[in-house]
Amino acid sequence: MLKLDAKIPDGPMAEKWTKHKFNVKLVNPANRRKYNIIVVGTGLAGASAAATLAEQGYNVDCFTYSDSPRRAHSIAAQGGINAAKNYPNDGDSIHRLFYDTVKGGDYRSREANVHRLAECSNLIIDHCVAQGIPFAREYGGYLDNRSFGGAQVSRTFYARGQTGQQLLIGAYGALQKEIKKGGVKMYTRCEVIDVVVIDGQARGIISRNLVTGELTRHVADAVVLATGGYGNVFFLSTNAMNCNATAAWRAYKKGAAFANPCYTQIHPTCIPVHGEYQSKLTLMSESLRNDGRIWVPKKKGDKRPPNEIPEEERDYYLERKYPSFGNLVPRDLASRNAKQVCDAGHGVGPTGQAVYLDFADAIERLGKDNIEAKYGNLFEMYNRITDEDPYTTPMMIFPAVHYTMGGLWVDYNLMTTLPGLYALGECNFSDHGANRLGASALMQGLADGYFVIPNTINDYLATSEIPKVGTDHAAFDESEKAAKEKLDKLLAINGKRTVDDFHKELGLLMWEKCGMARNEKGLKEALEKIPKIREEFWKDLNVPGSADDLNQALEKANRVADFMEFAELMVKDALERAESCGGHFREESQTEEGEAQRNDDEFCYVAAWEFQGLDKEPVLHKEELNFEVVKLSQRSYK
Amino acid sequence: MSEKINLTLKVWRQNRGEEGRFETYEAKGIDTAASFLEMLDVVNDELTLKGVEPIAFEHDCREGICGCCGSLVNGKTHGSHDRTTLCQLHMRHFKDGQELVIEPFRANAFPVLKDLIVDRSGLDEIITEGGYVAVKTGNAPEASTTPIKKELAEAAMDAAECIGCGACVAACPNGSAMLFTAAKVSQYALLPQGHPERTKRVKNMVSKMDELGFGNCSNEYECAVACPKGIDVVNIARLNREFIKANLGKS
Amino acid sequence: MSIKTSILSSIGQKLLLATSGLIMFLMFLIPHMGGNILFLFGPELFNSYAHHLHKLVPIVIGIEVLMLISITVHMIIGIRVALANKKAASTRHSQKSSAKRSFAARMMPVSGLMIFIFIIKHLLDFTFTQKNQVYIHDEIGYDVYEMVLYRFQDPVHVAFYILFMIAVGFHLSHALQSALQTYGIYVPREGSKIKIASAVIATLMAATFAIIPITAFIR
Repeated sequence: MLKLDAKIPDGPMAEKWTKHKFNVKLVNPANRRKYNIIVVGTGLAGASAAATLAEQGYNVDCFTYSDSPRRAHSIAAQGGINAAKNYPNDGDSIHRLFYDTVKGGDYRSREANVHRLAECSNLIIDHCVAQGIPFAREYGGYLDNRSFGGAQVSRTFYARGQTGQQLLIGAYGALQKEIKKGGVKMYTRCEVIDVVVIDGQARGIISRNLVTGELTRHVADAVVLATGGYGNVFFLSTNAMNCNATAAWRAYKKGAAFANPCYTQIHPTCIPVHGEYQSKLTLMSESLRNDGRIWVPKKKGDKRPPNEIPEEERDYYLERKYPSFGNLVPRDLASRNAKQVCDAGHGVGPTGQAVYLDFADAIERLGKDNIEAKYGNLFEMYNRITDEDPYTTPMMIFPAVHYTMGGLWVDYNLMTTLPGLYALGECNFSDHGANRLGASALMQGLADGYFVIPNTINDYLATSEIPKVGTDHAAFDESEKAAKEKLDKLLAINGKRTVDDFHKELGLLMWEKCGMARNEKGLKEALEKIPKIREEFWKDLNVPGSADDLNQALEKANRVADFMEFAELMVKDALERAESCGGHFREESQTEEGEAQRNDDEFCYVAAWEFQGLDKEPVLHKEELNFEVVKLSQRSYK
Repeated sequence: MSEKINLTLKVWRQNRGEEGRFETYEAKGIDTAASFLEMLDVVNDELTLKGVEPIAFEHDCREGICGCCGSLVNGKTHGSHDRTTLCQLHMRHFKDGQELVIEPFRANAFPVLKDLIVDRSGLDEIITEGGYVAVKTGNAPEASTTPIKKELAEAAMDAAECIGCGACVAACPNGSAMLFTAAKVSQYALLPQGHPERTKRVKNMVSKMDELGFGNCSNEYECAVACPKGIDVVNIARLNREFIKANLGKS
Repeated sequence: MSIKTSILSSIGQKLLLATSGLIMFLMFLIPHMGGNILFLFGPELFNSYAHHLHKLVPIVIGIEVLMLISITVHMIIGIRVALANKKAASTRHSQKSSAKRSFAARMMPVSGLMIFIFIIKHLLDFTFTQKNQVYIHDEIGYDVYEMVLYRFQDPVHVAFYILFMIAVGFHLSHALQSALQTYGIYVPREGSKIKIASAVIATLMAATFAIIPITAFIR
């Protein structure tokens, strides 16, 4: 039976990390090359971890399913990265960043981790500037900052609208530097499809070469997963098409606990769904809400063009319900309210699943030129996708799945409950609690990779008994055999439905029952339906081609097969957490005014699930959250 | 408002280690609001159910930033030369009944892996030779130590926007990777952080580029027309300058 | 990277092309054009120019040797680059060039070869040929003016020269701006002045060269 030990160091909050770094055991520089570490994923967390571990002298094998490490979806982050530099002299500090992040996460994150994150934030900026990342600068030549949601200070560093891209290319450069030196061996177009466990330790992986279909075995002393989030369980999300939960899910099935799977962030300003063929959703920067006014027609099913709807027949529902914050309420509130008005029949656009974001007033007040200077590139992007001109007709927006706060449970060292297996970045249950603040995902990915894991993994390597094994060990045979059987089984079904068809069915169910708002009845329905969809999947799926070839349908099927299992755990977790918190609204838990009601008495814990077998109920372990520094309080934006 | 159109696709199909050929498929009832890749999704679903292997094409973010996607559509990289990636190209730009010829990005240094997927790992190999600042984690001084002129930072960012899709190589009459290499060399030539390694960087990256069988730059600027991120050939001039300086100076 | 590999790298070869081309342009083409213009002012001036040129034998031979080296380098590297480029971009089917790609750029190897053929013919026509002797400034010289007049009586011959001058014009219009880019001093923008200047200079030069056979034919 699993026992959760977060291993949070003693002492005052601000000294824990420093003390911990001194207390952990180190590996002698001359001995480091004797250790093999596998890093899965080359996003911000994976690339930075692989590079830094190699710099220290470890042998690193790094894997990505893409053709290049530079493709990872960290690249799509637009807005920026937070740090407590306090360059604008507006009262920021490590403590304030820590405090804002704990509060923004609706008091469901681990204080010690968040404090460490805030401490690392400044080092990240230093390092990234040294790497030659072209951050935005002021005329004096110094770094510029912008403000972002959930904070009253300007602490966000940015590189135009492509901060994620620039940071990722920086980490990718660091990785390339180590590849050149021979410290990292890079495996591109290789998908990790199983984690190999020997005597209770993570000792390697099985990977599939996506060009030849060959399954290969890789042995290591520790395995680091940096494989991102599971947002694609909803089919439609702002995640990249190939983002998946396979490595994390297989790790869960091998003994790593999965924490808070029901925590998903829904971003309020995305371009709405157009039709059946829709493959993914595109996010529009949240900054649009600074000047845009959100409204829907007062009359249900009003099909008139927006410009013909007179002022008195419009409902600016956010301004009406939240007079002090108006259109600038946090992400979760903006999203939930959009869903509510659409569910009530006021939605606009061809599908009725959209609300207007109107810039007419702002253009009148500030002039078109000003608006163009501020949002020109976003308007252009919107126009490119929808063929509509936001200067003359209101934008249509709708919330979309964007980020997942849940993930593999990790202790303070970022190690999962499976010894020798680490999880970094979005892949772990993270420092974001039940809701992530804007510009904090990049911060966490890089903090984990550049500064945390290089200071914690040595403790495990130095103190554990890690016997020498080869890839001929029986555990590798078994894992490879199981992986191969699964692939063959997928190919052999020969049914009548495509992978996407099943994925869409599952995704829609998850969106409706376990999306922005959930209730017990809906969740129970979903729990009944998911196994049926899964059963159907294994009966009627059609995957053409063979396993010994580049076969994208097979890749997809193998990932969706895992989502089919994962979805069930997600719904179970959502059902168990009968409170509203962060991005997660539980309809039974609301105030009289219809606002989210957190329940600290019963749910102030991390829910970590332990796998027991596919047909058995997973076991829930609770890590109680103790708040030593930040006081728990209910958020209000009225 | 969107409408439905029918198209005829002539698509390049090729298996690993075999000769390729064009195959013709009908794309029926395509919504003009769909993206090009979504159109291919629809065609692929139909092919799958007919027992034909779907068309393999590379894609990931579908937001125009990862650099995975890209094919020649009617002879143009990313289907248009309008600063857009294939995933951001929408079907409203095509006419009902139109025939589309879809081919992979071609270059000697980009061997076809399958159908529309080519191996662009050469671009990574060029970066491996020095497309970075060799700073170790922990080396960095305080970020505001060195002020950098805003204009320089902006010019460096212009170059750094490259997504590594390879359209420049595919559009170049010579299959040259000069624009790609130039963008990276430029970024670090403009910023002081890149200066300690600038000589070694430009020599090694150019030498790797040549070794991999990319062609020469004949200053025809097709690369810049094709670039979905609008990377300018002024970067190639800067690369040439860096190269001359590196070879004239003492090494 | 050794000197040899630097020179034989893609950029190194382009620099050699640009440099050998510029040498021919500055040291030969421009002075040659200047001399040719004198033809328009009648036999006396033109023959006198030719006569004086012959007196500068050491310099002329020096330039001729330099030309020979330049043309050899230009051609060897040009052919190497063209072949490498062809190989690097093989197996294309539906590829189309953009509207912006200039005809001149595309035709560089062709116009280059045309110019080479032209040079040989031009040398046979005017250098390795019999010339009539005349008195110039009381010394014996050649009646070069008469020779030019005579050569261009045949309209086919005139047409041949004009055609090849057009090739020179196209070659130069791409070459001039391209060389500047290769040296890294080109700042290309839409409608860039350098690009326009390059085309204008090339057209003017080609026109000036072409005027001689036309004038000769009419006279």
